Amino acid sequence: MDLVSSQGLRIDGRRPNELRKIRCKLGVFSQPEGSAYLEQGNTKVLAAVYGPHQTKGSRSKAIHDAAIVNCQYSMATFSTNERKRRPRGDLKSTEMTLHLKQAMQASIKTDLYPYSQIDIYLEVLQADGGNYCACVNAATLALIDAGIPLKEYVIACSASLGNGDVPLIDVSHLEETMGGSNLTVAVLPLSGQIAVLEMSQKFHIDHLPVVLNEALNGCRRIYEILDEYVKTHLNEIGTIAGWAKSDF
Amino acid sequence: MYSILFSDAEKTYIWDGVELNLRNDGRKRNDYRPMELETDVVTHASGSARLRLANTDILVGVKAEIDVPYPEAPNVGKIEFFVDCSANATPAFEGRGGEDLANEISSALLKAYDVLPLNNLCIVPGFSCWKLYVDILILECGGNLYDSVSLAVKSALYNTRIPNVKGTYIDGTNVDLQLSDDLFECWKLDVSKAPCFVTLCKIGEYLVVDPTVEEEACSTASIVVSVGENGSITGIFKIGEGSFHQNAICDAIKLAGTIGNELNKTLKLALEKEENLGIRRERYGFLK
Amino acid sequence: MDQSICINLAVERVNTSVPTREQPCKLFTPGEIIFLQSDFMRGHGTYPEDDVLKASVAGVVEQIGKLISVKPLKNRYNGEVGDVVVGRIIEVTQKRWKVDTNSRLDSILLLSSVNLPGGELRRRSVEDEQMMRKYLIEGDLVSAEVQSIFADGSLSLHTRSFTYGKLSQGILVKVYPALVKRSKTHFHNLPCGASIILGKNGFIWISPTVSDANSSGGFTQNLDQKVLKGDREVIARLRNCILALAASKIPLYSTSILYAYEESEKYQLAELLNPESMLDIAILTQQKIQMMEDF
Repeated sequence: MDLVSSQGLRIDGRRPNELRKIRCKLGVFSQPEGSAYLEQGNTKVLAAVYGPHQTKGSRSKAIHDAAIVNCQYSMATFSTNERKRRPRGDLKSTEMTLHLKQAMQASIKTDLYPYSQIDIYLEVLQADGGNYCACVNAATLALIDAGIPLKEYVIACSASLGNGDVPLIDVSHLEETMGGSNLTVAVLPLSGQIAVLEMSQKFHIDHLPVVLNEALNGCRRIYEILDEYVKTHLNEIGTIAGWAKSDF
Repeated sequence: MYSILFSDAEKTYIWDGVELNLRNDGRKRNDYRPMELETDVVTHASGSARLRLANTDILVGVKAEIDVPYPEAPNVGKIEFFVDCSANATPAFEGRGGEDLANEISSALLKAYDVLPLNNLCIVPGFSCWKLYVDILILECGGNLYDSVSLAVKSALYNTRIPNVKGTYIDGTNVDLQLSDDLFECWKLDVSKAPCFVTLCKIGEYLVVDPTVEEEACSTASIVVSVGENGSITGIFKIGEGSFHQNAICDAIKLAGTIGNELNKTLKLALEKEENLGIRRERYGFLK
Repeated sequence: MDQSICINLAVERVNTSVPTREQPCKLFTPGEIIFLQSDFMRGHGTYPEDDVLKASVAGVVEQIGKLISVKPLKNRYNGEVGDVVVGRIIEVTQKRWKVDTNSRLDSILLLSSVNLPGGELRRRSVEDEQMMRKYLIEGDLVSAEVQSIFADGSLSLHTRSFTYGKLSQGILVKVYPALVKRSKTHFHNLPCGASIILGKNGFIWISPTVSDANSSGGFTQNLDQKVLKGDREVIARLRNCILALAASKIPLYSTSILYAYEESEKYQLAELLNPESMLDIAILTQQKIQMMEDF
């Protein structure tokens, strides 16, 4: 079966360069310093940020000139079509945790918080492709909610190839399993720096620039959507706090 | 469980308040905090519910899968409870940190749900039956986990839709399972017998319901009573390191029966009210 | 048997935001350029890169002279010298107590920064070090002032005044530090009959008013004296009002809390836990504040 129909539409009715619908909310929980909920199509994730706080456990772990970034990726057992037996601790989630840490460290200004620790926890409630991307985007929102200094947003997006040469962005689970090749990038969209790049299966080298370019375009568009939401959200709750009484 | 630091003066304040029947947030001893309920929030599951009690946040997903019945009980289905304490709730749950608490809650649920009839989960006696995986995710802890978990589980089971599957014997021994032609033809589980937990937390000489985290920290022992329909008691567990006097236990059970009955009724009303809004109602989930 | 159980549905969820007449203002989000030239002093929430000044948090810009900073709505407490804070002792070590003040590192209360019973100023002896647990132990709450900030960013506190010291019976409420408005005094004896300490770190302490000339800033806790029911009602009401205001992000200071308290009197105490009544109080309080500003 082709991933793109003769009318140029994908299985779920999207055009090749169309993102899935993004909905999000900042500040869903009260206990963590920052929290966020993000939906990209049917992929739904929750992120919580604790800290920066004094490094827990042995003091030797603390770094004298930067904060430790600690991540955990976990999937609800009911999040996938086939029930998962364990929410975390398997190879896949350990790898995800590592990649998440890599992406978040690229943006957090850790040098401001010596001897401290920042915990970022992600919980996938529903998995429908692009889990990593949704997690990175949700974690960024949660960090913003927590007021932790970032160089800029970190945004992740995936891309794939359909019908051999049509680049597709924001790949869904069905396309992931049917298509095969898949490129995931996490970038700092304003400066265009790539923080994480991962490719699964094979691409023709000629196609790589095209697919990468589509993925980067996707990131830029996700950035715009999230940034707009953050601004509306802060205006809604911040104006009342008299927080905004500056004449800048 | 998780511990929080607390000064003696604050403890005294809570103790005396409970004695005067005026708790820190203005509630009486038998009052619950307002809760918020939503069912059908996870599309990948056969049934789901989210319950928020103050800032305790529980998400439950139920998945029905076809399995082989136990040889000793060929005519009944299976049910399994799995609790996951998400690190989102507190960094203490990171890694395997929440496992003890999770096991405590899931085994309590399994015992209490012994009363739920599972006969109609059987498809072909001895060959195949439905197995319900009830997965509970604790997203935030604001005290009173047992009660909120049980309410969320009951709501998720109420929301569960199980597809119509018929089994026929081919050549006497093998079984052929056929899904009904209409994919949307499902049946609902009867949860009227499903119990709710009522936790009575002992503070000083008095018992309170729905303790906050601070109140839990002040108490040495709690008693969890699982209450079925019409206030029947289906299970009793004691948690915490303190102890109860025999007479106190009897009083506690009586009290829990009344409260649990009320809890079951209120939950039923809320679930029916939501169902009457139709399946086209807007899903709020974590948005808004 | 009376009990109250209330289960709301998600479709009835209330939006906690309160209408306001303030104009929405220019917001900056991480990575956004604030100024194209960098001859400004960079404050919190900003960083220079390639000769431009960029925001590192999402919030509004504050300019004091040449100092530019971006203020987020929510973050951990950033201590400043002279701030009044409420903190909880988390560790007793030699010569110092470690205090949780919701900062990014544990704060320090040195033995030499407290007034020892007896009052007179003297060198701290080894006996004093051994007595430290007599004064303050893990879990105790103290009110204190930020004395200085150490090089690594942790705060050094002192309680060398009669107003500061160990806190006795009462309730601690935690809110975002940014919601506590800076004012001349953070200690208030409210006319409704309770005392309140608005810690700049977002820890708010509500306690019965003590008619004391003899508060020694000391280490006494009166555990035998029971707080009366009337006082408790006031304290519980104040607690619920503060949480209602905080849920709608209304700044907390003595006036706003008192207005909320007045508006709340039409409700029963436990009703104040309902999201609807919390929002109602927040809206009424906000209107009252605006009316008073217009006068």
